[in-house]
Amino acid sequence: MKLYLTIILFSISFLTLAQPNCNYFLHVGDSLKYEACKETENATGHYQFSKEFQIVMDNALAIDSTYSYAYRSKSVAYLKSGDFLEWKRLIDLAVKYDPIGNLGYRASCRHQFFKDYGGAIVDIEELSRMTHEDIGHSANGVYHLEVVRALCYRGLGNNDKAIEIIENQLATDDYLVGIYDYIHLGVLYLEAGDLEKAKSNFEKQLEYNDLAENHFYLAKALKAQGKMNEASIELENTIALYKKGYVMHDGYVYAEDKIYWSMIEQEKETLD
Amino acid sequence: MSFSSLKFNKTINLIPFQLKNLFLIVTSISICIFSCNSNTTKEKESYLRWVGDIEYDEETDNSDFKLCYADKDIRQYFNFSKGVQYKGEKPAIVQYFNKNYKPVSSKKSGLLRIRFVVNCKGETGRFRIMSMNAEYQPMEFEPQISNQLLDLTKKMDGWLPIEMDQMDNMSLDYYQYLIFKIQNGKIIEIMP
Repeated sequence: MKLYLTIILFSISFLTLAQPNCNYFLHVGDSLKYEACKETENATGHYQFSKEFQIVMDNALAIDSTYSYAYRSKSVAYLKSGDFLEWKRLIDLAVKYDPIGNLGYRASCRHQFFKDYGGAIVDIEELSRMTHEDIGHSANGVYHLEVVRALCYRGLGNNDKAIEIIENQLATDDYLVGIYDYIHLGVLYLEAGDLEKAKSNFEKQLEYNDLAENHFYLAKALKAQGKMNEASIELENTIALYKKGYVMHDGYVYAEDKIYWSMIEQEKETLD
Repeated sequence: MSFSSLKFNKTINLIPFQLKNLFLIVTSISICIFSCNSNTTKEKESYLRWVGDIEYDEETDNSDFKLCYADKDIRQYFNFSKGVQYKGEKPAIVQYFNKNYKPVSSKKSGLLRIRFVVNCKGETGRFRIMSMNAEYQPMEFEPQISNQLLDLTKKMDGWLPIEMDQMDNMSLDYYQYLIFKIQNGKIIEIMP
């Protein structure tokens, strides 16, 4: 329950982009940003795609053209509509005026929406150099940025590097394991042919956040070991969870390592 | 001779020069004011109802494609939290392009987006193309690539109407897009 609540809260934060506390700008003596910030409060209740929302943000930028929050807020609708040109123009301005606050966000969007693996890696590594604090999570809250970096290395074909990064992250003190971390790590080991480590991670995922995917890939690992009966059982578990809707989900894009019904049917044929 | 006529006669010789200058000054100021105004207001007036809205263009859009509801009622594919709705999901989309797209010899790499409307019957129309290079700068792919992808996208027939649970499963019109990651004329990934 706690896990699902966390997911929902993270999702809401991604969809809404929390309004900053304008008094902070007064406190640090930046009255211009305070005025710009107060202007953005007029966007409350307007859909981020709407003309009204965009105009409020333009008005804020007319007050202070360095107010990164307004650029980032404007950029969201372009991101979600697939307009990579305008999104990049706006988010670059947000990064320019607040790199620490926006580099991680830009990186995870590059990865999630545009599969821009190289660009995302550059952003995350630059952020790591700029701060000694934890670099934080992806825009949707699903992944730690180190895991995003790992998935990007995987996208570039460097699976060893991806494994190394995720293993290091999982070994970090006080790390809150991401809801899909063990699935991705397991699949990386599966692709590398290390079936025992793959199975171990799918079993950890089962204890942590049981989804159709970990049973599906566990079935594949068992099949590769010639354990057909156990693989068939895991495939049945996959089907049961799939039908209940316990699958990897991303409302905007197809999630990496997500499974589809056609994949299950194909796997079933090989086991029957 | 009255003062006014004298003045008039005196000014006659000056008219061509003064008019020219006056015309240039007034024109320059007008252009400046107009362009400044248009830039200022363009930012605001150029917004449609929503970012990414596609208005019907009688010159390019298929007139047979009809929305089920008004333009102002078109939603986004993700408004329903159900993700992309295509029969057979992503594997079917990937398989379709793998089977039908003919790779083109090209040195260009980048992203090409095709955005369109899916109506409440699962029919599609109002296709628009956007493309960029790896640096997020506008770039046009060769027509053999962009036209081919556009034609193939237009022929996709597995789009599913999205039903709104909260409205007695009423099907709505929605915007959808596909982004193709292209490397040297080959599709290497399809999004979203």
